[in-house]
Amino acid sequence: MGAERTAVIGVGQTKYAAARRDVSIAGLLREAAYRALEMAERTWSDVDAVIIGKAPDFFEGVMMPEVYLAEALGAVGKPIMRVHTAGSVGGSTACVAASMVQSRVHRCVLTIGWEKQSESNAMWALSLPQPFATSVNAGAGGYFSPIIRRYMMMTGAPELIGCMVAHKDRRQALLNPYAHLHQHDLTFEQVVDSPMLWDPIRYSETCPSSDGACAMVLVDEASGDAHDGPVAWVHGTAMRSESNNYGGRNMVSPAASEQCADDVFAQAGIVDRRAEIDAVEMYVPFSWYEPMWLESLGFASVGEGWRMVESGATALDGGDLPVNCSGGVLSSNPIGASGMIRFAEAALQVMGAAGDRQVDGARRAMGHAYGGGAQYFAMWIVGSGKP
Amino acid sequence: MSSEVLQAPLVLEYPFTRSTGPVIGAFLTGLRDGVICGIRRADGTVLCPPQEYDPLTAEPLTELVEVGQAGEVVTWAWNGDPRPMQPFDRPFAWALIRLDGADTSMLHAVFAPSAAEMSTGMRVRVVWRTEREGHIADIAGFEPIPAVETA
Repeated sequence: MGAERTAVIGVGQTKYAAARRDVSIAGLLREAAYRALEMAERTWSDVDAVIIGKAPDFFEGVMMPEVYLAEALGAVGKPIMRVHTAGSVGGSTACVAASMVQSRVHRCVLTIGWEKQSESNAMWALSLPQPFATSVNAGAGGYFSPIIRRYMMMTGAPELIGCMVAHKDRRQALLNPYAHLHQHDLTFEQVVDSPMLWDPIRYSETCPSSDGACAMVLVDEASGDAHDGPVAWVHGTAMRSESNNYGGRNMVSPAASEQCADDVFAQAGIVDRRAEIDAVEMYVPFSWYEPMWLESLGFASVGEGWRMVESGATALDGGDLPVNCSGGVLSSNPIGASGMIRFAEAALQVMGAAGDRQVDGARRAMGHAYGGGAQYFAMWIVGSGKP
Repeated sequence: MSSEVLQAPLVLEYPFTRSTGPVIGAFLTGLRDGVICGIRRADGTVLCPPQEYDPLTAEPLTELVEVGQAGEVVTWAWNGDPRPMQPFDRPFAWALIRLDGADTSMLHAVFAPSAAEMSTGMRVRVVWRTEREGHIADIAGFEPIPAVETA
Protein backbone atom coordinates (compact mmCIF):
# COMPACT_ATOMS: atom_id res chain seq x y z
CA MET A 1 0.00 0.00 0.00
CA GLY A 2 1.51 3.31 -1.09
CA ALA A 3 1.24 6.66 0.53
CA GLU A 4 -2.14 8.33 0.79
CA ARG A 5 -2.65 10.87 -2.01
CA THR A 6 -2.75 14.28 -0.39
CA ALA A 7 -4.56 17.43 -1.51
CA VAL A 8 -4.22 21.09 -0.62
CA ILE A 9 -7.73 22.55 -0.48
CA GLY A 10 -7.13 25.79 1.38
CA VAL A 11 -4.56 28.58 1.41
CA GLY A 12 -4.73 31.61 3.70
CA GLN A 13 -2.34 34.54 3.94
CA THR A 14 -2.14 37.81 5.80
CA LYS A 15 -1.26 41.02 3.97
CA TYR A 16 2.48 41.13 4.61
CA ALA A 17 3.63 44.37 6.21
CA ALA A 18 6.54 45.84 8.15
CA ALA A 19 4.52 46.00 11.37
CA ARG A 20 1.10 44.62 12.29
CA ARG A 21 0.87 46.48 15.58
CA ASP A 22 -2.94 46.12 15.55
CA VAL A 23 -2.80 42.40 16.37
CA SER A 24 -1.07 40.09 18.82
CA ILE A 25 1.03 37.18 17.57
CA ALA A 26 -2.05 34.96 18.05
CA GLY A 27 -4.24 37.42 16.16
CA LEU A 28 -1.83 37.44 13.22
CA LEU A 29 -1.79 33.65 12.90
CA ARG A 30 -5.51 33.51 13.32
CA GLU A 31 -6.11 35.62 10.19
CA ALA A 32 -4.13 33.26 7.95
CA ALA A 33 -5.55 30.10 9.55
CA TYR A 34 -9.13 31.34 9.27
CA ARG A 35 -8.70 32.29 5.61
CA ALA A 36 -7.25 28.86 4.82
CA LEU A 37 -10.20 27.15 6.54
CA GLU A 38 -12.62 29.43 4.70
CA MET A 39 -11.15 28.54 1.29
CA ALA A 40 -11.18 24.86 2.29
CA GLU A 41 -14.81 25.12 3.41
CA ARG A 42 -13.80 23.63 6.75
CA THR A 43 -14.29 24.64 10.39
CA TRP A 44 -11.99 24.30 13.39
CA SER A 45 -13.70 21.06 14.39
CA ASP A 46 -12.83 19.44 11.03
CA VAL A 47 -9.10 19.76 11.71
CA ASP A 48 -7.36 16.68 13.16
CA ALA A 49 -3.96 18.24 13.92
CA VAL A 50 -1.99 21.47 13.58
CA ILE A 51 1.58 21.53 12.24
CA ILE A 52 3.27 24.87 12.95
CA GLY A 53 6.64 26.36 12.06
CA LYS A 54 8.60 29.53 12.67
CA ALA A 55 12.20 30.68 12.81
CA PRO A 56 14.14 30.27 16.09
CA ASP A 57 12.34 31.28 19.29
CA PHE A 58 14.84 33.99 20.18
CA PHE A 59 13.74 36.06 17.18
CA GLU A 60 10.65 37.23 19.12
CA GLY A 61 11.86 36.03 22.49
CA VAL A 62 8.79 33.83 23.05
CA MET A 63 9.83 30.31 23.99
CA MET A 64 7.71 27.49 22.52
CA PRO A 65 5.08 29.92 21.17
CA GLU A 66 3.08 26.98 19.79
CA VAL A 67 1.89 26.24 23.32
CA TYR A 68 0.45 29.73 23.73
CA LEU A 69 -0.99 29.61 20.19
CA ALA A 70 -2.96 26.37 20.62
CA GLU A 71 -6.19 28.17 21.51
CA ALA A 72 -5.95 30.64 18.63
CA LEU A 73 -5.45 27.70 16.24
CA GLY A 74 -8.28 25.56 17.59
CA ALA A 75 -5.74 22.95 18.70
CA VAL A 76 -6.86 22.42 22.29
CA GLY A 77 -7.20 18.68 22.81
CA LYS A 78 -5.60 17.95 19.43
CA PRO A 79 -2.05 17.13 18.36
CA ILE A 80 0.03 20.22 17.63
CA MET A 81 3.58 19.81 16.35
CA ARG A 82 6.32 22.40 15.97
CA VAL A 83 8.91 22.20 13.20
CA HIS A 84 12.33 23.90 13.44
CA THR A 85 14.56 24.32 10.37
CA ALA A 86 15.59 28.03 10.43
CA GLY A 87 14.56 29.98 7.30
CA SER A 88 13.43 26.88 5.42
CA VAL A 89 10.98 26.06 8.19
CA GLY A 90 7.83 27.09 6.32
CA GLY A 91 8.64 24.55 3.62
CA SER A 92 9.65 21.84 6.08
CA THR A 93 6.45 22.44 8.03
CA ALA A 94 4.37 21.87 4.90
CA CYS A 95 6.36 18.66 4.18
CA VAL A 96 5.69 17.41 7.72
CA ALA A 97 2.00 18.31 7.38
CA ALA A 98 1.81 16.39 4.10
CA SER A 99 3.49 13.38 5.74
CA MET A 100 0.74 13.34 8.39
CA VAL A 101 -1.84 12.78 5.65
CA GLN A 102 0.35 10.60 3.39
CA SER A 103 0.98 8.24 6.31
CA ARG A 104 -2.76 8.15 7.12
CA VAL A 105 -2.15 9.37 10.67
CA HIS A 106 -4.57 12.26 10.03
CA ARG A 107 -7.15 13.05 7.36
CA CYS A 108 -7.27 16.85 7.68
CA VAL A 109 -4.30 18.91 8.82
CA LEU A 110 -3.95 22.66 9.30
CA THR A 111 -0.40 23.86 8.74
CA ILE A 112 0.92 27.35 9.37
CA GLY A 113 4.18 29.30 9.30
CA TRP A 114 4.67 32.76 10.76
CA GLU A 115 6.96 35.53 11.92
CA LYS A 116 6.30 38.88 13.55
CA GLN A 117 9.50 40.71 12.76
CA SER A 118 8.16 43.96 14.25
CA GLU A 119 8.38 42.22 17.64
CA SER A 120 11.81 40.75 16.96
CA ASN A 121 15.19 41.57 15.51
CA ALA A 122 16.54 39.01 13.07
CA MET A 123 19.72 40.94 12.36
CA TRP A 124 20.58 40.76 16.06
CA ALA A 125 19.53 37.15 16.33
CA LEU A 126 21.73 36.17 13.38
CA SER A 127 24.76 38.03 14.72
CA LEU A 128 25.08 36.70 18.27
CA PRO A 129 28.54 37.37 19.66
CA GLN A 130 30.29 34.18 20.74
CA PRO A 131 33.12 33.97 23.29
CA PHE A 132 36.58 33.39 21.73
CA ALA A 133 35.28 34.14 18.22
CA THR A 134 35.28 37.24 16.08
CA SER A 135 31.79 38.61 15.46
CA VAL A 136 31.48 39.87 11.90
CA ASN A 137 28.10 41.32 12.91
CA ALA A 138 27.07 41.18 9.26
CA GLY A 139 23.79 39.27 9.37
CA ALA A 140 22.67 37.01 6.55
CA GLY A 141 23.83 39.32 3.74
CA GLY A 142 27.39 39.31 5.02
CA TYR A 143 27.35 35.53 5.12
CA PHE A 144 25.99 35.08 1.60
CA SER A 145 27.84 37.83 -0.30
CA PRO A 146 31.15 35.94 -0.68
CA ILE A 147 29.22 32.87 -1.84
CA ILE A 148 27.53 35.00 -4.49
CA ARG A 149 30.93 36.40 -5.54
CA ARG A 150 32.14 32.82 -5.90
CA TYR A 151 29.18 32.05 -8.19
CA MET A 152 29.88 35.12 -10.30
CA MET A 153 33.55 34.18 -10.60
CA MET A 154 32.79 30.56 -11.54
CA THR A 155 30.22 31.40 -14.19
CA GLY A 156 31.33 34.77 -15.52
CA ALA A 157 27.93 36.22 -14.70
CA PRO A 158 27.62 39.95 -15.52
CA GLU A 159 27.41 42.32 -12.52
CA LEU A 160 23.77 43.37 -13.02
CA ILE A 161 22.04 39.95 -13.18
CA GLY A 162 21.05 40.32 -9.52
CA CYS A 163 19.47 43.70 -10.23
CA MET A 164 17.43 42.12 -13.04
CA VAL A 165 16.08 39.49 -10.61
CA ALA A 166 15.24 42.13 -8.01
CA HIS A 167 13.47 44.37 -10.51
CA LYS A 168 11.48 41.42 -11.92
CA ASP A 169 10.36 40.22 -8.47
CA ARG A 170 9.36 43.69 -7.31
CA ARG A 171 7.36 44.20 -10.55
CA GLN A 172 5.63 40.85 -10.09
CA ALA A 173 4.81 41.74 -6.48
CA LEU A 174 2.52 44.45 -7.84
CA LEU A 175 0.24 41.62 -9.05
CA ASN A 176 0.04 40.06 -5.59
CA PRO A 177 -2.27 41.84 -3.13
CA TYR A 178 -0.57 40.10 -0.19
CA ALA A 179 2.98 41.25 -1.04
CA HIS A 180 4.66 43.54 1.47
CA LEU A 181 6.49 45.77 -1.03
CA HIS A 182 4.40 47.45 -3.71
CA GLN A 183 6.93 49.76 -5.37
CA HIS A 184 4.87 50.99 -8.31
CA ASP A 185 7.46 53.32 -9.77
CA LEU A 186 10.64 51.33 -9.10
CA THR A 187 12.91 51.44 -12.15
CA PHE A 188 15.78 49.13 -13.03
CA GLU A 189 18.14 52.11 -12.72
CA GLN A 190 16.95 52.75 -9.17
CA VAL A 191 17.74 49.14 -8.24
CA VAL A 192 21.22 49.52 -9.74
CA ASP A 193 21.76 52.85 -7.98
CA SER A 194 20.58 51.65 -4.56
CA PRO A 195 23.28 51.56 -1.85
CA MET A 196 25.71 48.65 -1.85
CA LEU A 197 25.17 46.84 1.46
CA TRP A 198 27.34 43.75 1.20
CA ASP A 199 29.16 43.78 -2.14
CA PRO A 200 27.76 42.61 -4.57
CA ILE A 201 24.36 42.85 -2.80
CA ARG A 202 22.62 46.20 -3.12
CA TYR A 203 19.84 47.40 -0.82
CA SER A 204 17.16 46.76 -3.48
CA GLU A 205 18.47 43.22 -3.95
CA THR A 206 17.59 42.25 -0.37
CA CYS A 207 14.37 41.07 1.23
CA PRO A 208 12.29 43.30 3.51
CA SER A 209 11.53 42.54 7.15
CA SER A 210 7.86 41.54 7.42
CA ASP A 211 5.09 40.50 9.77
CA GLY A 212 2.93 37.72 8.41
CA ALA A 213 1.50 34.23 8.49
CA CYS A 214 0.61 31.70 5.80
CA ALA A 215 -1.57 28.63 6.34
CA MET A 216 -2.77 25.66 4.32
CA VAL A 217 -5.34 22.90 4.80
CA LEU A 218 -4.24 19.44 3.61
CA VAL A 219 -6.61 16.50 3.30
CA ASP A 220 -6.67 12.87 2.20
CA GLU A 221 -7.65 11.63 -1.27
CA ALA A 222 -11.34 11.05 -0.60
CA SER A 223 -11.71 14.53 0.90
CA GLY A 224 -9.79 16.04 -2.01
CA ASP A 225 -12.07 14.23 -4.49
CA ALA A 226 -15.17 15.45 -2.68
CA HIS A 227 -14.03 19.06 -2.46
CA ASP A 228 -15.98 21.51 -4.64
CA GLY A 229 -13.32 24.21 -4.74
CA PRO A 230 -9.86 24.21 -6.33
CA VAL A 231 -7.43 21.45 -5.33
CA ALA A 232 -3.64 21.06 -5.60
CA TRP A 233 -2.32 17.49 -5.36
CA VAL A 234 1.02 16.80 -3.71
CA HIS A 235 3.32 15.01 -6.21
CA GLY A 236 6.45 14.93 -4.07
CA THR A 237 8.04 16.33 -0.91
CA ALA A 238 11.69 16.24 0.12
CA MET A 239 13.91 17.66 2.87
CA ARG A 240 17.71 17.56 3.27
CA SER A 241 20.17 19.18 5.70
CA GLU A 242 23.95 19.49 5.91
CA SER A 243 26.46 21.14 8.24
CA ASN A 244 27.40 24.63 7.09
CA ASN A 245 31.12 24.37 7.83
CA TYR A 246 32.56 21.04 6.75
CA GLY A 247 35.68 21.04 4.60
CA GLY A 248 35.11 20.76 0.88
CA ARG A 249 31.51 21.88 1.08
CA ASN A 250 30.14 23.31 -2.17
CA MET A 251 28.60 26.48 -0.78
CA VAL A 252 27.30 27.69 -4.16
CA SER A 253 25.36 24.51 -4.86
CA PRO A 254 25.25 22.49 -1.63
CA ALA A 255 25.04 18.71 -1.95
CA ALA A 256 21.91 18.76 0.23
CA SER A 257 20.22 21.08 -2.27
CA GLU A 258 21.05 18.91 -5.26
CA GLN A 259 20.05 15.69 -3.51
CA CYS A 260 16.81 17.21 -2.25
CA ALA A 261 15.94 18.32 -5.80
CA ASP A 262 16.82 14.91 -7.28
CA ASP A 263 14.54 13.26 -4.73
CA VAL A 264 11.52 15.51 -5.22
CA PHE A 265 11.69 15.44 -9.04
CA ALA A 266 12.04 11.64 -9.00
CA GLN A 267 8.96 11.34 -6.77
CA ALA A 268 7.01 13.48 -9.23
CA GLY A 269 8.28 11.48 -12.21
CA ILE A 270 9.79 14.58 -13.79
CA VAL A 271 12.66 14.11 -16.23
CA ASP A 272 13.01 17.43 -18.08
CA ARG A 273 12.73 19.82 -15.16
CA ARG A 274 12.53 23.07 -17.11
CA ALA A 275 10.00 21.75 -19.61
CA GLU A 276 7.74 19.90 -17.19
CA ILE A 277 7.44 22.54 -14.46
CA ASP A 278 5.17 25.50 -15.21
CA ALA A 279 5.94 27.79 -12.26
CA VAL A 280 8.54 27.92 -9.48
CA GLU A 281 8.27 29.64 -6.13
CA MET A 282 11.89 29.71 -5.04
CA TYR A 283 13.42 31.03 -1.81
CA VAL A 284 15.38 34.08 -3.02
CA PRO A 285 16.08 36.47 -0.12
CA PHE A 286 19.06 37.95 -2.03
CA SER A 287 18.58 38.43 -5.77
CA TRP A 288 21.52 36.32 -6.92
CA TYR A 289 20.02 33.21 -5.40
CA GLU A 290 17.64 32.94 -8.36
CA PRO A 291 20.31 31.99 -10.93
CA MET A 292 22.20 30.00 -8.28
CA TRP A 293 19.17 27.87 -7.38
CA LEU A 294 18.11 27.52 -11.04
CA GLU A 295 21.40 25.66 -11.50
CA SER A 296 21.40 23.80 -8.20
CA LEU A 297 17.83 22.57 -8.78
CA GLY A 298 18.69 21.38 -12.28
CA PHE A 299 16.55 23.84 -14.23
CA ALA A 300 19.76 25.04 -15.90
CA SER A 301 23.25 23.64 -16.29
CA VAL A 302 26.14 25.33 -14.48
CA GLY A 303 26.66 28.82 -15.88
CA GLU A 304 23.28 28.85 -17.63
CA GLY A 305 21.18 30.08 -14.71
CA TRP A 306 22.16 33.71 -15.13
CA ARG A 307 21.54 33.43 -18.88
CA MET A 308 17.96 32.33 -18.14
CA VAL A 309 17.52 35.44 -16.01
CA GLU A 310 19.10 37.67 -18.66
CA SER A 311 16.88 36.25 -21.41
CA GLY A 312 13.69 36.84 -19.41
CA ALA A 313 12.96 33.10 -19.17
CA THR A 314 12.03 33.44 -15.48
CA ALA A 315 9.60 36.36 -15.87
CA LEU A 316 5.85 35.87 -15.56
CA ASP A 317 5.47 38.06 -18.62
CA GLY A 318 6.81 35.95 -21.50
CA GLY A 319 9.11 33.51 -19.69
CA ASP A 320 8.91 29.72 -20.12
CA LEU A 321 9.75 29.07 -16.42
CA PRO A 322 8.21 31.90 -14.37
CA VAL A 323 9.95 32.24 -11.01
CA ASN A 324 8.35 33.97 -8.00
CA CYS A 325 5.23 35.33 -9.68
CA SER A 326 4.17 36.33 -6.15
CA GLY A 327 7.12 38.71 -5.86
CA GLY A 328 8.96 36.15 -3.77
CA VAL A 329 10.94 36.59 -0.59
CA LEU A 330 12.41 39.75 -2.12
CA SER A 331 8.98 41.36 -1.75
CA SER A 332 7.73 39.77 1.52
CA ASN A 333 9.79 38.11 4.25
CA PRO A 334 8.03 37.00 7.41
CA ILE A 335 10.88 34.51 7.88
CA GLY A 336 9.10 31.52 9.39
CA ALA A 337 6.26 31.93 6.88
CA SER A 338 8.42 32.59 3.81
CA GLY A 339 8.96 28.92 2.95
CA MET A 340 5.28 28.12 3.39
CA ILE A 341 4.35 31.07 1.18
CA ARG A 342 6.51 29.51 -1.57
CA PHE A 343 4.71 26.18 -1.15
CA ALA A 344 1.28 27.83 -0.93
CA GLU A 345 1.86 30.05 -3.95
CA ALA A 346 2.90 26.94 -5.93
CA ALA A 347 -0.38 25.34 -4.86
CA LEU A 348 -2.39 28.42 -5.87
CA GLN A 349 -0.78 28.28 -9.33
CA VAL A 350 -1.92 24.71 -10.05
CA MET A 351 -5.32 25.44 -8.49
CA GLY A 352 -5.69 28.26 -11.02
CA ALA A 353 -6.34 30.51 -8.02
CA ALA A 354 -3.35 32.85 -8.22
CA GLY A 355 -5.31 35.87 -9.44
CA ASP A 356 -3.36 38.41 -11.47
CA ARG A 357 -0.11 36.54 -10.84
CA GLN A 358 -1.47 33.33 -12.40
CA VAL A 359 0.67 31.45 -14.95
CA ASP A 360 -1.81 30.48 -17.67
CA GLY A 361 -2.60 26.79 -17.59
CA ALA A 362 -0.11 25.92 -14.84
CA ARG A 363 -0.31 22.18 -14.24
CA ARG A 364 2.74 21.49 -12.13
CA ALA A 365 4.58 23.89 -9.85
CA MET A 366 7.48 23.72 -7.43
CA GLY A 367 7.73 25.27 -3.96
CA HIS A 368 11.27 25.64 -2.59
CA ALA A 369 12.79 26.88 0.66
CA TYR A 370 16.25 27.06 2.14
CA GLY A 371 17.56 28.15 5.50
CA GLY A 372 20.53 28.59 7.82
CA GLY A 373 23.81 29.02 5.92
CA ALA A 374 22.15 27.49 2.81
CA GLN A 375 22.15 24.16 4.62
CA TYR A 376 18.48 23.24 5.22
CA PHE A 377 16.32 22.50 2.19
CA ALA A 378 12.64 21.73 1.71
CA MET A 379 10.84 21.28 -1.60
CA TRP A 380 7.55 20.11 -2.94
CA ILE A 381 5.93 19.66 -6.30
CA VAL A 382 2.19 20.08 -6.64
CA GLY A 383 -0.05 19.40 -9.60
CA SER A 384 -3.54 20.14 -10.84
CA GLY A 385 -4.05 16.42 -11.43
CA LYS A 386 -3.43 13.48 -9.13
CA PRO A 387 0.09 12.04 -8.95
CA MET B 1 52.57 24.80 26.33
CA SER B 2 49.72 25.81 28.59
CA SER B 3 46.63 23.67 28.58
CA GLU B 4 44.43 25.89 30.68
CA VAL B 5 40.73 25.39 29.99
CA LEU B 6 39.23 28.83 29.42
CA GLN B 7 35.71 30.03 30.07
CA ALA B 8 34.00 33.30 29.28
CA PRO B 9 30.61 34.82 29.98
CA LEU B 10 28.05 35.20 27.20
CA VAL B 11 25.45 37.85 27.95
CA LEU B 12 22.54 38.15 25.51
CA GLU B 13 20.33 41.16 25.79
CA TYR B 14 17.75 42.59 23.46
CA PRO B 15 14.71 44.80 24.05
CA PHE B 16 11.84 42.92 22.38
CA THR B 17 8.55 44.59 21.40
CA ARG B 18 5.05 43.26 22.04
CA SER B 19 1.78 44.17 20.32
CA THR B 20 -1.06 43.22 22.65
CA GLY B 21 -3.97 43.04 20.22
CA PRO B 22 -7.48 44.25 21.06
CA VAL B 23 -8.35 41.93 23.98
CA ILE B 24 -5.17 41.88 26.05
CA GLY B 25 -4.80 45.56 25.16
CA ALA B 26 -8.22 46.32 26.66
CA PHE B 27 -7.37 44.38 29.83
CA LEU B 28 -4.13 46.33 30.30
CA THR B 29 -5.57 49.77 29.52
CA GLY B 30 -8.41 48.89 31.90
CA LEU B 31 -5.89 48.29 34.69
CA ARG B 32 -4.41 51.71 33.97
CA ASP B 33 -7.89 53.16 34.52
CA GLY B 34 -8.48 51.12 37.68
CA VAL B 35 -10.92 48.72 35.98
CA ILE B 36 -10.59 44.93 35.67
CA CYS B 37 -11.99 43.36 32.49
CA GLY B 38 -13.00 39.83 31.74
CA ILE B 39 -14.47 38.42 28.53
CA ARG B 40 -17.72 36.54 28.07
CA ARG B 41 -17.87 33.16 26.32
CA ALA B 42 -20.83 31.91 24.31
CA ASP B 43 -22.08 29.89 27.32
CA GLY B 44 -22.17 33.05 29.43
CA THR B 45 -19.14 32.26 31.58
CA VAL B 46 -16.51 34.97 32.00
CA LEU B 47 -12.74 34.50 31.64
CA CYS B 48 -10.58 36.84 33.73
CA PRO B 49 -7.93 37.67 32.68
CA PRO B 50 -9.55 37.69 29.24
CA GLN B 51 -8.34 35.61 26.28
CA GLU B 52 -8.64 36.35 22.57
CA TYR B 53 -9.99 32.93 21.59
CA ASP B 54 -12.29 30.48 23.32
CA PRO B 55 -10.20 27.71 24.87
CA LEU B 56 -12.67 25.01 23.83
CA THR B 57 -14.34 26.16 20.60
CA ALA B 58 -11.55 28.42 19.24
CA GLU B 59 -14.16 31.07 18.41
CA PRO B 60 -13.01 34.69 18.74
CA LEU B 61 -14.10 36.33 22.01
CA THR B 62 -15.11 39.99 21.83
CA GLU B 63 -17.60 40.78 24.65
CA LEU B 64 -15.46 42.50 27.27
CA VAL B 65 -17.17 42.87 30.67
CA GLU B 66 -16.09 44.60 33.85
CA VAL B 67 -15.70 42.24 36.81
CA GLY B 68 -15.61 43.00 40.51
CA GLN B 69 -12.63 44.32 42.42
CA ALA B 70 -13.08 41.74 45.15
CA GLY B 71 -13.19 37.99 45.00
CA GLU B 72 -12.37 34.66 46.53
CA VAL B 73 -9.07 32.84 47.04
CA VAL B 74 -9.30 29.54 45.15
CA THR B 75 -5.95 28.23 46.32
CA TRP B 76 -2.75 29.73 47.75
CA ALA B 77 0.85 29.17 48.80
CA TRP B 78 2.74 31.11 51.47
CA ASN B 79 5.93 32.91 50.47
CA GLY B 80 7.80 33.39 53.75
CA ASP B 81 11.00 34.74 52.23
CA PRO B 82 10.25 37.25 49.43
CA ARG B 83 12.98 38.04 46.95
CA PRO B 84 13.74 41.40 45.34
CA MET B 85 11.30 42.28 42.50
CA GLN B 86 8.48 40.26 44.10
CA PRO B 87 5.22 42.12 44.81
CA PHE B 88 5.82 42.69 48.54
CA ASP B 89 8.91 43.08 50.73
CA ARG B 90 7.35 41.16 53.64
CA PRO B 91 6.03 37.58 53.67
CA PHE B 92 2.87 37.26 51.55
CA ALA B 93 0.78 34.62 49.76
CA TRP B 94 0.71 33.76 46.08
CA ALA B 95 -2.91 33.01 45.31
CA LEU B 96 -5.34 32.17 42.54
CA ILE B 97 -8.14 34.70 42.92
CA ARG B 98 -11.58 34.40 41.31
CA LEU B 99 -13.02 37.89 41.11
CA ASP B 100 -16.74 38.47 41.53
CA GLY B 101 -18.42 38.02 38.16
CA ALA B 102 -15.62 35.88 36.77
CA ASP B 103 -15.55 32.10 36.36
CA THR B 104 -11.76 31.69 36.18
CA SER B 105 -9.01 32.82 38.50
CA MET B 106 -5.85 34.86 38.14
CA LEU B 107 -2.52 34.56 39.89
CA HIS B 108 -1.59 37.45 42.15
CA ALA B 109 -0.26 38.33 45.61
CA VAL B 110 -2.30 38.51 48.83
CA PHE B 111 -0.92 40.74 51.58
CA ALA B 112 -1.91 38.78 54.68
CA PRO B 113 -0.11 39.22 58.01
CA SER B 114 0.68 35.50 58.29
CA ALA B 115 -0.08 32.13 56.76
CA ALA B 116 -2.48 31.51 59.62
CA GLU B 117 -4.74 34.21 58.20
CA MET B 118 -4.89 32.64 54.75
CA SER B 119 -7.62 30.17 53.82
CA THR B 120 -9.19 28.81 50.71
CA GLY B 121 -12.48 30.59 50.12
CA MET B 122 -11.41 33.77 51.97
CA ARG B 123 -12.52 37.11 50.52
CA VAL B 124 -9.92 39.56 49.20
CA ARG B 125 -10.01 42.91 47.40
CA VAL B 126 -7.69 44.66 44.99
CA VAL B 127 -5.04 47.14 46.14
CA TRP B 128 -4.23 49.52 43.29
CA ARG B 129 -0.97 51.28 42.72
CA THR B 130 -1.43 55.03 42.62
CA GLU B 131 0.67 55.43 39.47
CA ARG B 132 -0.52 53.03 36.80
CA GLU B 133 0.79 52.39 33.31
CA GLY B 134 -1.17 49.48 31.78
CA HIS B 135 0.65 46.53 33.36
CA ILE B 136 -0.40 43.61 35.58
CA ALA B 137 1.64 45.24 38.36
CA ASP B 138 -0.82 48.17 38.33
CA ILE B 139 -2.54 45.83 40.79
CA ALA B 140 -0.14 45.99 43.73
CA GLY B 141 -1.83 42.93 45.18
CA PHE B 142 -4.93 41.88 47.12
CA GLU B 143 -5.75 42.36 50.79
CA PRO B 144 -7.98 40.23 53.00
CA ILE B 145 -11.47 41.63 53.63
CA PRO B 146 -12.13 41.36 57.36
CA ALA B 147 -14.91 38.90 58.18
CA VAL B 148 -16.92 41.62 59.88
CA GLU B 149 -17.16 43.45 56.56
CA THR B 150 -18.16 40.36 54.62
CA ALA B 151 -20.76 39.28 57.17
